[in-house]
Amino acid sequence: MSDPLLLQLKTLVVATLNLADFRPEDIPDEEPLIGSPRLGLDSIDALELVLAIEKKFGVKIGSSEESRSALASIGTLAAYVRSQKPDA
Amino acid sequence: MSVPADQLPVGIAACECLTPLGDAAATHAALLAGTRALRMTPVLGREGGDPVPLALLGPMDESLPPRWLADLRRLAARIPAAAWGTSRTPVVVTSSNFGVGSLHAFTRDRDPRHVAHGTPFASVELLRKEFGWGEQVHVFSHACVTAHLGLAHAARLLHAGLAERVLVFSYDFVSPFVAGGFHSLKILNGLMPAPYAVRETGAIGLGDGAAFAVLTRDGGPFYIAAHALHNEMYHFTGNEPAGAGFAACAAAIAAAAGGRRVWIKGHGTGTLEAGRLEAGELFRQFPDAPLTGWKGSLGHTLGSCGLVELALAIAAVRGGRIPGTVGGESPAFSGNVALQSFDGAAYDGAVLSANAFGGAHAAMLLAHD
Repeated sequence: MSDPLLLQLKTLVVATLNLADFRPEDIPDEEPLIGSPRLGLDSIDALELVLAIEKKFGVKIGSSEESRSALASIGTLAAYVRSQKPDA
Repeated sequence: MSVPADQLPVGIAACECLTPLGDAAATHAALLAGTRALRMTPVLGREGGDPVPLALLGPMDESLPPRWLADLRRLAARIPAAAWGTSRTPVVVTSSNFGVGSLHAFTRDRDPRHVAHGTPFASVELLRKEFGWGEQVHVFSHACVTAHLGLAHAARLLHAGLAERVLVFSYDFVSPFVAGGFHSLKILNGLMPAPYAVRETGAIGLGDGAAFAVLTRDGGPFYIAAHALHNEMYHFTGNEPAGAGFAACAAAIAAAAGGRRVWIKGHGTGTLEAGRLEAGELFRQFPDAPLTGWKGSLGHTLGSCGLVELALAIAAVRGGRIPGTVGGESPAFSGNVALQSFDGAAYDGAVLSANAFGGAHAAMLLAHD
């Protein structure tokens, strides 16, 4: 894993949602976060993730549509964070 | 699967509401003029935060006594006199917020006086004593279909012979706690709602609102002819993706409305997915009925919306002119969305619907002679 932001985000997902059976490196960059049968995350998890990401990175997610798009995968989430915080 | 609607007609002896635009008649007039009660307001009130659209009766801060009490006194003064809260004339109180803002104020200020009216039952108990109601007070809370459930319950009490008249009373006032929750979901954001509009970003507004109705077994010029209730139990916050819950409820109320010329007051909060599903299913069942919604002006009054909007629907029929979808835009999710007001004379009924978290759906058929 070359991009440290990807690992940071995976660690945040595992910690925020108490995914006890997962290690951060078990989550592929492009695996769907919401609706994936393996991860089993739902919209309440999405709410928790959005709040955690806003707090940790100081970004603002403006709408539920933006949130859904950003949370498509770890890869899209990293791209979203970096679009608002290029030095992340 | 569609469960048949309750067809237990009950007369509406009195019905009134209070919104930031005034009582039912004043609010109706303001809606006809396209007035928006929503104002961009810091989401956490005096604690600041992002500006979001809120329609408030006063500053969004919990005071002692709670800020909603004076407004509810004003509304309650218009309830016809009766021995409310007795076995033959019970009260049904419906709310989704009750005094939850006071619990938030307690966590902030640590003043125990806030707790005295913070919980649902403490909040209702304050009203019961304030308005002199007896012990027969039934309390309902089921998210944004709460008032519909309370009205349906009242109809069942009347038809079972358990009551002569029922007062249904509903109140929901926005607090930083509730606004903050919807803001976290990102559906309350920096945009004004545009109900049923096809656009890139959805948005709702939240509003203060309260209302009452006195229901009787006797018919009146206005009566509720049927109630359809359906809970798809798909998810806490999400709807079944194909709209099965909307379809079941719309089909049930359409069957009950057969033969009537109706217009529709939809839920229409301004979210995209629910707006598309709702408009689509209502159009499928009522292709010739204009669809309107008023939350683009008043915001979403949550558990009270069913009763607040019932009072407004009656005022609209009385006034002869039905307000269009304030804040709506073209293109819309279905071809029957009314962006402008329209003449009520061509109709002898209205379908009023609401949808809620948890996949709960409700609709009632308002009929008039």
